[in-house]
Amino acid sequence: MSHVQYGNRAVSRLSRRRVITIAATVGVGVSAASVAGLSVAGERPAKDDGAPLVISLRDAKKGTFDVFSGGSKVTLTDAKLAARLLKAVKRG
Amino acid sequence: MSSHREAPEISKDPVADSSDLYAFVSPDLPDTVTLIANYVPLQLPASGPNFFEFGDDVLYEIHIDSNGDGRPDLTYQFRFRTELRNDKTFLYNTGPIDSLDSVNWNRRQFYSVTKVDAHGKATVLAAKLQCPPCNVGPLSIPNYGKLANDAVHKLKTGEKVFAGQRADAFFVDLGAIFDLGTLRPFEDKHLIGKTLFKGPAKAINATNQLNVHSIAIQVPTHLVRRDGTKKVRGRDPGAVIGVWTSASRRQVQVRQGDKKNDDIEVGPQVQVSRLGNPLFNEVIVPMAQKDLWNSLPPSEDKRFAGFVSQPELASLLPVLYPGLFNNLAALNKKKTPRVDLLAILLTGIPDGLVKDFQNNTGAIQADMLRLNTAIAPAKVENKFGVLGGDVAGFPNGRRIADDVVSISLRAIAGATVPLVDAKFKPDAAATAVEQGLSIKDVSAKPLAHFPYLPLPLDGFDNPS
Repeated sequence: MSHVQYGNRAVSRLSRRRVITIAATVGVGVSAASVAGLSVAGERPAKDDGAPLVISLRDAKKGTFDVFSGGSKVTLTDAKLAARLLKAVKRG
Repeated sequence: MSSHREAPEISKDPVADSSDLYAFVSPDLPDTVTLIANYVPLQLPASGPNFFEFGDDVLYEIHIDSNGDGRPDLTYQFRFRTELRNDKTFLYNTGPIDSLDSVNWNRRQFYSVTKVDAHGKATVLAAKLQCPPCNVGPLSIPNYGKLANDAVHKLKTGEKVFAGQRADAFFVDLGAIFDLGTLRPFEDKHLIGKTLFKGPAKAINATNQLNVHSIAIQVPTHLVRRDGTKKVRGRDPGAVIGVWTSASRRQVQVRQGDKKNDDIEVGPQVQVSRLGNPLFNEVIVPMAQKDLWNSLPPSEDKRFAGFVSQPELASLLPVLYPGLFNNLAALNKKKTPRVDLLAILLTGIPDGLVKDFQNNTGAIQADMLRLNTAIAPAKVENKFGVLGGDVAGFPNGRRIADDVVSISLRAIAGATVPLVDAKFKPDAAATAVEQGLSIKDVSAKPLAHFPYLPLPLDGFDNPS
């Protein structure tokens, strides 16, 4: 993952497994989102079928990511990954 | 309006904007209830070449709460998909459309229906049901009524569904009401109007000759009741259901520009529109909180109860119409909580307040259209519903011809306070005030059968 921009196909080509692998490597916290108004009955997370996912770096300082995949959102915390991404987009 | 463009954000997203919700015991099939949610409001019939349609990227839902907790026990979900038959033409249709599978009809829309139970278990009831086309004009669609009838689908599970264009049957004098609360029949009594007008004037229906897109479902009544029984007494709490509709979009959308097919929509559904009682978000909730309200489920409505208990409009009426609402002004001055409105809008009316009627769902405050499914349809409807002695009408659910604007005006003006305070005497104006319109001011006539809303007005005969 050398270059990540929101809306770039490079992001959408990442598989869910790949993101989780990165997260696990650096020991991140992972939690499923549970926010009023964000969950709809009958919506299920997508299987790892190569469908696009989108990563949002919500809090660069803390390294808080929202990972959107299928009908779900997972929150990761990874300060090192955040730093790498910021460096890649020349904000670090 | 009822809920057309009622909040800042959704007013810019008409495809997801719920404008009206109806819930009533079907007059021709009283062992069923009919639920209708209108979206894509204020459609000019003459709208070629890109006629109106549902959003393929919107999740439309009709929810039913059968145990009074403000959460859905049964939800019907509707997802749409548009198909283009001919990618070489700019036209919606290349010749007359005489059937739903006409090769002349270029841009068609299909939908699925999914039923979700109280535990979140989803079951797809139908996968590819067809919408009718928009009513282009008599040359393009010689027999629109037949085509629309063909688009009424009976599901194996007992429900009947329709999704497509209809005429908007809601009636409101929008131009007057939002010009500082003017009611044309009383305009000469208005604070400013009395300097401009010499007498009353006839109201004008602002939504006349406009179309909407409707999602209608007719459900055997026992399927919506909490215990699944076919027979229930009107006094039984199990007779009452709460209904609302919502529209949601994926939390993330990534646009790819010229690679349109690569657009990405992922993440949880985020609710962007909600509608239970007509006018709730429109005239009860302050503008600063309308978008928030649209994002929440009814179970969160306790936080808006203060706006119901002390509605802004109740404080405006005595100012706008000097001398006509003195008793209301005194009530306002004492800051008496409007327990009548809290019941009507947030908990339902308990048994014992109105003869032979209750639509109470318990203590949880939630804005839902509450329907007592055990009350038979009225043989002769009164447009003032429960206030007019017709307990089969609003706020017992809502029928197409109910004058919800006038009913709400009267209630807010104090006409319903005696339900909870026998000592209060409503102002004469409170029981006489009305917008001055009825279903007769809607050019297109409602049908006597499902889906009840009038056929859409065609573009050729309604060019402006």
